[in-house]
Amino acid sequence: MLAFLVRRFFGLIFVLFAVTFLTFIIGHAAPGDPIQNMLGVRQDPATYHRLIHFYHLDQPVLVQYGNYVWRIVRYLDFGNSFQYNSRPVTAVLGGALPVTFTIGMSALALATLVGVPVGIYAAARQNRPADRLSMAATLILYSVPSFVLIPILLTIDIWLEQNGYPSLPVANWGTVQQAVLPIGVLAAGNAAYLARLTRTTMIGTLHEDFIRTARAKGLPRWRVVYFQALRPALLPVVTYLGPAIGGLVTGTFVVENIFNLPGVGFAAVNSIEARDYPVVEGATIIVAVVVVLMNLLADILYRILDPRIQE
Amino acid sequence: MYASSRVSLVALCTLAALALTAIVGPQVYGQSATSADIFNLNPDSWPSASHLLGTDKDGIDILARLMMGLRVSLGVALFVEVLNVLLGVPIGLAAGYFGGAIDFVLSRVADALFAFPGLLLAILVAGVFGPSVGDAWGGLGRLALVTASLALVSWPLMARYVRAEVLSLRERDYVEAARAIGASTPRILLVHIAPNILGLVLTVTTLDMASQVVNEAALSLLGLGVQPPHASIGLMISNAIGVLNINWTESLFPGLALTAMVLSFSFVGDGLREAFDPRTRA
Repeated sequence: MLAFLVRRFFGLIFVLFAVTFLTFIIGHAAPGDPIQNMLGVRQDPATYHRLIHFYHLDQPVLVQYGNYVWRIVRYLDFGNSFQYNSRPVTAVLGGALPVTFTIGMSALALATLVGVPVGIYAAARQNRPADRLSMAATLILYSVPSFVLIPILLTIDIWLEQNGYPSLPVANWGTVQQAVLPIGVLAAGNAAYLARLTRTTMIGTLHEDFIRTARAKGLPRWRVVYFQALRPALLPVVTYLGPAIGGLVTGTFVVENIFNLPGVGFAAVNSIEARDYPVVEGATIIVAVVVVLMNLLADILYRILDPRIQE
Repeated sequence: MYASSRVSLVALCTLAALALTAIVGPQVYGQSATSADIFNLNPDSWPSASHLLGTDKDGIDILARLMMGLRVSLGVALFVEVLNVLLGVPIGLAAGYFGGAIDFVLSRVADALFAFPGLLLAILVAGVFGPSVGDAWGGLGRLALVTASLALVSWPLMARYVRAEVLSLRERDYVEAARAIGASTPRILLVHIAPNILGLVLTVTTLDMASQVVNEAALSLLGLGVQPPHASIGLMISNAIGVLNINWTESLFPGLALTAMVLSFSFVGDGLREAFDPRTRA
């Protein structure tokens, strides 16, 4: 385990440098002069040079990059936004990160809690109507992207509201009811995929010899399914969690924009439109780093859970 | 062989029909996709005789916009795959065949790009360079930018697949035999290895096109792809969500078109994978 962790640690350092470097270079290669945009019609050489110095834009690019990384590591300071009277990026994104994190993790948890049992259920009733029905439903849910599912759900919701039935709010963030639609939509696709994945691995495990032995010994069917077969069948699910988190990022961006949720995706897209590149860089780096760390956690979890990996 | 699966055939026909609609449709269908009839302005109208699928919030015909959007989606997906193949296949070949330092450097580059989750890097690139590219080269420029940014984040996957296949192929007997009789390295790569990865490349390309169609729609939905008055499926859905209480069919048709494209590409890709899989061949 130690050798694995050391190797992964160096890989992590490399990835962190690569992510910050690429993001920084792209953000600073943006055409146009952000200071001029900021000053607008109130151009004044003294203020201009003062702002250039404030944003460290007068230094060579590599020096800027070095300072940028050092400030992030030492002070968690991502620089200052071009908008909002030069507030620090952390102030702009600070409130957004918990929202996005909540949305993403809730969606993942919901997807696992719904998808895995459905997959087990389908595997235990293989090729019977329940299985075929759930597999058809999951295929549709899985291939339809979230922004096709959202208008359908919203239409139903609006119809419910217009006809007086209880309905869910369709925008903004704060109450539990406002969280249901966005998190539900995000979870749906992943739940469908997890259901199919669990079903496949479960079917494979249920045909193994050790299951047949357990049944031959007289253990009841439900006990065999839940206690013997489940653990090896869940390993691919843990492997999938890493890529799932990566896919959730794009989904969260889209959902935040459609439902007006004050998260990192919403802030990032608005900052892109406002050409507020420090915020965009900060958002990209924060999200990428969080995802990389969660992937690492998922890998470690997999190594702990899989008894076939010898230490 | 490919034709043995009915679903794959149906998917292929659907894809051909969509492509045909995208190419010929805008010429055949009378309504304009970018301007409304300002003397008979009828925004958000339901399907009617003159506007077969209704109109959007600006009074522009939805079917016309949908066909232009199909052009954009299929075109972007196709060119992203072309770039993927042009970038990913040679890099995967080099990394897999030569190994050593070349493999190390190329794999690190691919890993650096892989580290960005999902479309994050594509969003960054399209967002940062979008306005200036749009000013300099117009709508076509923004399309090219979307294509480039999507290709940037997806070539590492192709390179990884190719590299894995080449790693196993270079140990085959016929490669060793070719080396033994003194074949030059370019010849081995071109004559012996490349033809055998063709099946894999074709399958991965088709399956990836399904994702690229969705990715392009996502970028347009966020406002980073083609801009109004041009049409794109993501842009249409984004506009339609705002007027769902007035006319819900506006979001239905682009959504159906997108789903049709995704499912068709997926099933065609599955059919190709089964056709090329040596284990299921007759």
